[in-house]
Amino acid sequence: MVNGLKKTFQTKRKAAGLSGSLRALVHPQYQQVEAVRDLSFHMENGELLGFIGPNGAGKSTTIKILTGILYPTSGEAEVLGFTPWRQRRQLAYKIGTVFGQRPQLWYHLPAIDTFYLFGKIYELEDHFIRQRISFLAEAFEIQDLLETPVRKLSLGQRMRCEVAASLLHQPRLLLLDEPSIGLDVVAKQRIRDTVKRMSELEGVGVLLTSHDAGDIEALCRNVIIINHGQIVFQDKVSNLKRRYLTSKLVEVRYAQEVSPTFHLEGTENLKIGRYGVKLRFDTRQTPVEGVISRLAEAGSLVDVTISDPTLEEVIRTIYNEQEA
Amino acid sequence: MRSGKYWAIFKTQVANRMAYSGDLAAHSLTIVMFMWIFMQLWRTTYSVSGSDTLAGLTLHHTLWYLMLAETIMLSKPRLSRGISQAVKDGSIAYLLNKPYDFLLYQLSLGLGDSLMNTLFNLLAGGITVWLLVGPPPEMWGWPFTLAAMVLAWLIDFCVNALIGLAAFVTEEVSAFEWIYSKFLLLLGGVLIPLDFFPGWLQQITSSLPFAYTIYGPARLFIEPSLDRFLSLVAVQILWILLLGTLVTLSYRKGLSRLAVNGG
Repeated sequence: MVNGLKKTFQTKRKAAGLSGSLRALVHPQYQQVEAVRDLSFHMENGELLGFIGPNGAGKSTTIKILTGILYPTSGEAEVLGFTPWRQRRQLAYKIGTVFGQRPQLWYHLPAIDTFYLFGKIYELEDHFIRQRISFLAEAFEIQDLLETPVRKLSLGQRMRCEVAASLLHQPRLLLLDEPSIGLDVVAKQRIRDTVKRMSELEGVGVLLTSHDAGDIEALCRNVIIINHGQIVFQDKVSNLKRRYLTSKLVEVRYAQEVSPTFHLEGTENLKIGRYGVKLRFDTRQTPVEGVISRLAEAGSLVDVTISDPTLEEVIRTIYNEQEA
Repeated sequence: MRSGKYWAIFKTQVANRMAYSGDLAAHSLTIVMFMWIFMQLWRTTYSVSGSDTLAGLTLHHTLWYLMLAETIMLSKPRLSRGISQAVKDGSIAYLLNKPYDFLLYQLSLGLGDSLMNTLFNLLAGGITVWLLVGPPPEMWGWPFTLAAMVLAWLIDFCVNALIGLAAFVTEEVSAFEWIYSKFLLLLGGVLIPLDFFPGWLQQITSSLPFAYTIYGPARLFIEPSLDRFLSLVAVQILWILLLGTLVTLSYRKGLSRLAVNGG
């Protein structure tokens, strides 16, 4: 439960160059940065909630407040019955965290050493630690990786171990901050599948931040989009898809030159190059299949790429709609 | 169970250091080189003076003193750097999401680090000095020296933690680190046993914590006595209490103004 959460940072400002540095030394100027502005939301036990937004939107700051690392400037939050910044250590026993950009496993040691260390840190019994490790090792398919020094694992293998380590103490809430960053498609899918399965199996709630809408689509039922520290969208993932992920982008390249007047019915040209075209269409009116077959008829295809609109585009659309 | 976690952190750090035992061994070459240089310096000093003892110490005393002083100095963990780095780049945030005390966590890590360094330095330094000037001082004093070394380590830990935590305010702490290490070298007795200082300077050094980090244990090692041990330990404990309180207070203060860098 989060209500009216606010976090303002003070950062030093400095004009460019040496003269600016000198001026800042004599008369420092501060700038207030509002990382989180008036954030309110509610999360059910065992819910899978996606938290997305572009870089600098305030996702990580929110997570840090919810784990008790940062004090908010104002507002209230309650996580599993605790006020995070006042009861950080009690709360720590109940939550698991994974930060995609900050590994928690000891780099030079095999993952199993960190597993045992975490077991001790969470004050678990030895036989429980052993049982739990073998259970997680199977669930995450990491049996063969546990005894290899972490530095020798691939990024995907390491992330599987990271997530498994964060579940060792059977947390009731898992905070995943950009867990799929830098992973290839297959590794991403594997992590998503396992997290989903574990959540169903143990009823652990998951708060997932990502700037990859695909993560959210695959995992979560509900989604919050934040930008500049404010919520711009909060609803079911299916509604997000239905309302905003309606268009597709297609990029094609042909073996021969493309006519400058190239047009396909039901699509909008974004760019026409000498050998290629980039266009957008609405999947509700124009089925993907039709577009592709007509593109193929138009010439001999060398390459086709289909993609979803980026998160930034979705946010822009939401803003435009709100203004209208 | 509670202290079990810090024991586990300590053990993990020992294992972590052992992952690079070659590196550890290579580091201990430093002390071999230092002791050889000290030997040349002090042999000349003693022969020029024409006396067997200077400030009450023989060449044998001085060399074994320097071996222990260097062992303490070279085996200290670079905690202040680690802590200030964690504050500066925001990684402190990721160390805080587990149920342990941050300072005790750092303490356990540091002890694990120092244990391995000390073992290797004592071995390499001890063999070198033995070959140069003969066998070490009386063995019955060793356990007392060891106890004094642990307390000395704790004083150093507190000072290091204070310097590291200063990063909450100043962000950059390398200047403090530099000053502290120079204080240890001169006023702590790393470069020269404090017995060689004039009386007034000895008075000053005995009212500062530095002498109890280096000089105290090293001096006890070469001339062990129960009196010396007890008076040393009493002062060491006073310093630990005083500095420990300061560290705890500044940590609490620092945490409340924590603004995590790097998003």
